[in-house]
Amino acid sequence: MTAAQPDVLAGLRARVLEASQRARTAGEPVPQVPAISPAEALSRAADALYRTLSALDGAAWARPAIRDLDVQGLVGHLTGVEDDVQRGLAGDPAVSLAGHVESTQAAAVSQAGREPARTLAEWREAVRRTLALADAICQDDPDALDACVAVHGMRLPLRALLIVRAFELWVHENDIRLTAGLPLAVPDPPVLRLMTRLAARLLPGAAVRAGVPGPGRLHLVLTGPGGGSWDLEWDPEWDPETASAGRPCPAEVSIVADAVGFCRLVADRMTPAELDPYITGDHDQAAGVLTAAATLALD
Amino acid sequence: MGGTDALLAARLAAGDDHALAEVFDQFGAAVYGAAAYVVGTGGGAQDIVQDVFVELWCHPDRYDPDAGSLRGYLTLLARHRAVDTMRSELRRLARQERHYRLTIDEGPPSPGEQVLTAHMAGEVRAAIQRLPAAQRQVVELAYFEGMTCREVASAVGIPEGTVKSRLRLALAKLETVLDRQLLEAP
Repeated sequence: MTAAQPDVLAGLRARVLEASQRARTAGEPVPQVPAISPAEALSRAADALYRTLSALDGAAWARPAIRDLDVQGLVGHLTGVEDDVQRGLAGDPAVSLAGHVESTQAAAVSQAGREPARTLAEWREAVRRTLALADAICQDDPDALDACVAVHGMRLPLRALLIVRAFELWVHENDIRLTAGLPLAVPDPPVLRLMTRLAARLLPGAAVRAGVPGPGRLHLVLTGPGGGSWDLEWDPEWDPETASAGRPCPAEVSIVADAVGFCRLVADRMTPAELDPYITGDHDQAAGVLTAAATLALD
Repeated sequence: MGGTDALLAARLAAGDDHALAEVFDQFGAAVYGAAAYVVGTGGGAQDIVQDVFVELWCHPDRYDPDAGSLRGYLTLLARHRAVDTMRSELRRLARQERHYRLTIDEGPPSPGEQVLTAHMAGEVRAAIQRLPAAQRQVVELAYFEGMTCREVASAVGIPEGTVKSRLRLALAKLETVLDRQLLEAP
C-alpha cells in the first residue's frame, strides 16, 4: 500500500468535500423522495387512518385510546378539530385561542352510543371539507399557503397547518393501532419528509421556549426514507440591535436519530431514551434539545 | 444507535455532509493508497479518490453494510477505478504508438509519459512471460519485433490463420491476467 503524505490528504480532503457538494446538495436525502403538497400529505394521512378504522370490529371502537376517550371518542375529537380548522380558515377569531382538547370535547363525548360507521363517515366528511376549503382558498390566492391561520393557540402558515393536521392523524392512527393490538404505521416517505422538515423548523423555537441554554447550533440528521439533515440555530439572548462583532461562536451539537422515531418524539409518544439517538458534542445541551422536541407535542 | 458503517451509510443517505468528512478522515488514506498502488502517486490517484467519494456521496445506497465493511467497499471501488484508468491509458498509448508508426518522428515523449510507459510495459512483459510458449512466441514477434502476421507465420512455419488465433487467445489471456493482478493488489 502506498502511504499518502499528510499534506496531500489535507488538500485532497478539501477537494473531495467541495466536489461532493457540487454533485449533491447537503441536507437532501437520497434516494430522492417525490415532493407532494401539504394538502396531499393530509389527504394521504386521512386515507391511512380511514383504512385502519374501517378494519376495526365493533369492540375495538370501544377500547380506551387516549385521555378519557375510547377510539370512537377520539375520532369524534378529530371531527371537532376539523370543524375548528375550517372556522380558522374562514377567519373566525373564536378558535384562535380555543383549547385543542376543550374545544373538541363536546364532539368527542357526543359519539357515545352512536354507530361507529356514522362517526367514521362524519369524520371522513369533515376532512374532505377541510381539504376542499383549503383548495378553494388557494385557488383564489396563490400566496394563501404562506398566509397564517390561527387555530388552538397556534399561528401557522396554511402549508404548515395542513402538515400539522397530517401529523395529528398519523399519531392518533397509531394510538388506535396500539389499543387494537396492531403494528404501528409508518407514513409514506413523501408525507414523512414534510413532517420531519416541519418538526426541524419548529425545533429552535421549542428550544428557546424550553430554556435550553444558548446560543446553540444543532446539526440534526434524521435517517431513513423521509429523513434529511438540517443545521439549526437558536439564541434566546441574541439581539440584533446590541450584538457586537465579538459574539462568541455557538457550541455545536449533533443529533442523529431515526426519522420515524423523531416524529414520535415530537408527538410526545416516545422518550429521548427510547429514541436512542447518536449524539456528538455537548450531551447536556443535546438532552435539552430532545426534551424541548417532545414539548412540540404535534399530536 | 452506534457509530457503525451502517449508521455512516444512513447518515450519508440523509444528506449529512459531516458524515462524509468523517468517512474521508477514516478511510481517505486507505482509498488513496489503493488507487496509488495501481496508478502511482500522481494526480491520477487523487482524481480516483475524488471520484470514489463523490460516488459514495451521490449513491450511498449502493453500499450494503451487510455485504462488507465501508473501508473494503471504498478501497475496492478505488481499485476498480484505477484499473479502468490503467486500461484507458494502455489503449491511449497503443493508439499513440500506432500513430507514431504511421507518422514522422515528432520528438521524444515527455518524462511523465516515459515513466508511465515504463511502468505499464513492465506489467505487460511480466504477464507475457507467463503465456504458453507458442502464444508467447507469436506475441513477441508481432509486437516486439514489429512483424506482420504473414511474416510471423513464415518465421515460425505455421499458417497465418493459426498466428491470428494464437494472438487473439494471447491477448484475451493478457487482459484477464493484467486485470486480476491489478484487482488483487493489496
